[in-house]
Amino acid sequence: MRNKLSRLSIPYVVWMAFFVVAPIIMVVIYAFSSAEGGFTWDNFAQMGTYAVVFGRSFKLALIATAICLLIGYPVSYMMSKEGPRFQRLAMVLIMLPMWINFLLRTYSWMSILDNNGLLNNLFRSIGLIDLYNNIFGTNIQYFQMLNTQGAVVLGMVYNYLPFMILPIYSVIVKLDHSLVEAARDLGSDTFTVFRRVILPLSFPGILSGITMVFVPSVSTFAISKMLGGGTDLMLGDLIEQQFLGGAYNPQLGAAIALVMMVIVVVCMVVMNRFGEGEEQAVML
Amino acid sequence: MKKRNSAFNRTFTVLVFLFLYLPIFLLIVFSFNQGNSNTVWTGFSLHWYKELFSDRLIMRSVYTTLLVSVLATAIATFAGTFAAIGFYSLRRRKRAVLNTVNNIPMMNADIVTGVAMCLFFVAFFGLWGSFAQWFNGIQSLIVLPERLTLGFGTLLIAHITFNIPYVILSVGPKLRQMDRNLIDAAQDLGCTWFQAFFKVMLPEIKPGIVSGALTAFTMSVDDFIISYFTAGSSSSTLAMTIYGMTKKRVTPEINAISTLLFVVVLLLLVITNVRESRQEQLEQRRKKLPTVTAAEAAQFARKSRNLGPLPKIAGAAAICVLLIVTGVAASHNAAQPVVNVCSWGEYIDEDLITQFEEQTGIMVNYQTVESNEALYSLLKSGAGDYDVVVPSDYMISQLIEEGMLEKLNYSNIPNFALIGDQFKNLPYDPLNEYTVPYAWGTVGIIYNTTMVDEPISSWSAMFSDDYAGNVLMFRNSRDAMATALLYLGYSINTTDESQLREAYELLSDAKSRGVYQAFVMDEVFQKLEGGNAAIGAYYAGDYLTMLENNEDLAFVVPEEGSNWFVDAMCVLKDAPHRDEAEAWINFIASTEANLANMDFIWYASPNTAALEGYPDYYYENYGEELAPEIYEIMAANEETLSRCQMYVSLPYETRALYNDLWIQLGI
Repeated sequence: MRNKLSRLSIPYVVWMAFFVVAPIIMVVIYAFSSAEGGFTWDNFAQMGTYAVVFGRSFKLALIATAICLLIGYPVSYMMSKEGPRFQRLAMVLIMLPMWINFLLRTYSWMSILDNNGLLNNLFRSIGLIDLYNNIFGTNIQYFQMLNTQGAVVLGMVYNYLPFMILPIYSVIVKLDHSLVEAARDLGSDTFTVFRRVILPLSFPGILSGITMVFVPSVSTFAISKMLGGGTDLMLGDLIEQQFLGGAYNPQLGAAIALVMMVIVVVCMVVMNRFGEGEEQAVML
Repeated sequence: MKKRNSAFNRTFTVLVFLFLYLPIFLLIVFSFNQGNSNTVWTGFSLHWYKELFSDRLIMRSVYTTLLVSVLATAIATFAGTFAAIGFYSLRRRKRAVLNTVNNIPMMNADIVTGVAMCLFFVAFFGLWGSFAQWFNGIQSLIVLPERLTLGFGTLLIAHITFNIPYVILSVGPKLRQMDRNLIDAAQDLGCTWFQAFFKVMLPEIKPGIVSGALTAFTMSVDDFIISYFTAGSSSSTLAMTIYGMTKKRVTPEINAISTLLFVVVLLLLVITNVRESRQEQLEQRRKKLPTVTAAEAAQFARKSRNLGPLPKIAGAAAICVLLIVTGVAASHNAAQPVVNVCSWGEYIDEDLITQFEEQTGIMVNYQTVESNEALYSLLKSGAGDYDVVVPSDYMISQLIEEGMLEKLNYSNIPNFALIGDQFKNLPYDPLNEYTVPYAWGTVGIIYNTTMVDEPISSWSAMFSDDYAGNVLMFRNSRDAMATALLYLGYSINTTDESQLREAYELLSDAKSRGVYQAFVMDEVFQKLEGGNAAIGAYYAGDYLTMLENNEDLAFVVPEEGSNWFVDAMCVLKDAPHRDEAEAWINFIASTEANLANMDFIWYASPNTAALEGYPDYYYENYGEELAPEIYEIMAANEETLSRCQMYVSLPYETRALYNDLWIQLGI
């Protein structure tokens, strides 16, 4: 039975060889080519110049992932405790925003956060800005929210939060509640039950949530352009400039992308090792 | 017993949902705006919805989006489910390897996946071309096409490839949760393998399949960057159309179509939800009544059967209707001759496309791109196999230098005679062999008269502390460096490294002093129209668009001089539809087309009759005189132009220096 079934994977393996592996090999070839076509290490030698960009991107993506986890976990947990009707509605409501193009949604945030935007106008009309000026003796017209790194993180959280909630929710909702009850019967308080039973059991969901938020965050380019004011480059911007933008240099772009990919893959492998035992726990 | 949530917890969840929906709410509100702004509310109107349905460009991209998403989802769900079953049955080590490969499309930045696939397809087409040539040479029974291009097929392959992992990811866990003995038991009890699969396995993993399909569909609709690199010149998705608009501006029609899609999906999902929870209630009631009579049981069964297929049919019907409606709006005959055009977003009066198609029977595939540099990358990487492109002057000379343009046959373009002499034989095409000008204009400073102390007249405003935090700088290296070079009194075409470094220092110093609020392209509309920034450098035609939404804005070509530019139509080397391309160029060069375009995009026309006749055209159409100062800004006069220089293509070393400096500015 099992051997027969495993043949079902052959078509997809062939497909992957063509459309996943072969393209990646093209990227690797590019990363080690010079503009004229010969082999070179030069593209990697330049990497040091971009260390700051690597640092900034990983920092912001990590912060965004952490915030997504802090918001996403409680939301998934609470959703799982509601009735089935609410749960389904909530799932739909979480997926739905993705039906509107992310550029448009991010544009909307610009008009909310801008100096003369919705929020600042609100603060002005309720006197919050005057109050702030009175207390601190300043004379500001608005709170600077747009074009800050905070706004970039907000954009990432906004766009990728659903990717954190969905996997965590799908794991929590399937938790075996008899385990929770058993723990409670054995005298654990609510917090201990959460820490010792629910949290470890939801680990696989957390891991895939982290992956699905961190990877797009670290490589985003539209969000940093629009909400960050385009003044501080991120890794995605750097890659985008080599492939699409003002600095056409696909070899360098491929090299940067490759380095980023290797770092991300190493992180993921380490994390998955870390979580491997937990996966078994869910299967029990 | 499960504990229910406290009020505090519920409030938290509600707040998170508000956070998710606040921007969407705003976006929907502005789809009903009378004006063309996404920030300034000018009154309620439905006219964007009306315009939407006659906008073939948007309708076609919606059609392509839906079609590719539906097909890719169906195929990926089918293939992904079987692949997941196959993976699940493999030995652990093998499975781990395959799972890692499977995760690559998700671990990779979209842009890398997109570029990688584009490189792969282009390389494959090259190999295929030589194979087909050889094959057609040795026999004549089967004729293989020698020239393959990116198009709907490659777009579909790309979407399937990035969709399958999502299906596997959501089916896999369901398989692992399933009790393996169930299938063995079923088979022991006499089920064939096939029956065991359909009766036992499928019901167990169905929720995973459904959620995988839903995720895949959503990802397909949302994807932009992978489509951008794999769609070629003949098909574009909605996301690509939106992105192409970002050099100019995003029209509220996009808000309208997004609102419609949003509402349709919302309704569909609500219907499905209501049905499922009703069914669940029925089942619960059945469970509560262990001693039901046969009649009652039959009634329950009938009720749930009646509810059963209805929402599914409704869903399928809704998607079909959407496909048909958008398909009809976008319809064309497959045998019709075509021409593939690439230009800037919101840079043509789209009625012209319809007129051209009706007159000539040639179908126009119209795509947009966000900058000259992005166009160059698309052409270089092989992703853009257009017939006609409309780059700006300096990019044209670069394309000519690299042998990427085809010489035009001007006897097919009689309307070229209507183009003013001052726009012929310009430095980018000295013998005028390759180009027919499309539009021209100047770069200047746009400022909000209520936010500055005195009228701006010099580029110094872009570098002084006077308006620190309220200045918008270009987000492209050539234009940004030009502002600094002009202020320093150098030529905008200088190749002198020390002058360029000086200009860079000026920009970088101003950036570190906090002069710039942001580096922008089309975000400039939102910021200047809404009074979020005081000063910004941008293009004259776009200033006139902003003026419609904010009367306090003023435009000046600074005293130090500026850049004037020409965008011109060219045909790419080896373009497959040369004759159609020249017919298109001839049509666009006509006086009527130029008048319509001037009226729509507010950029000046190179057609002498149109340029001089526009004030009369305006009077006839709107019943009022065109203010002379507006005409002056649109079509800069001799005196202004004498202060302006045109960009020329820079040598390779200088371009490399620009790139370095620009990236350093960003670091």
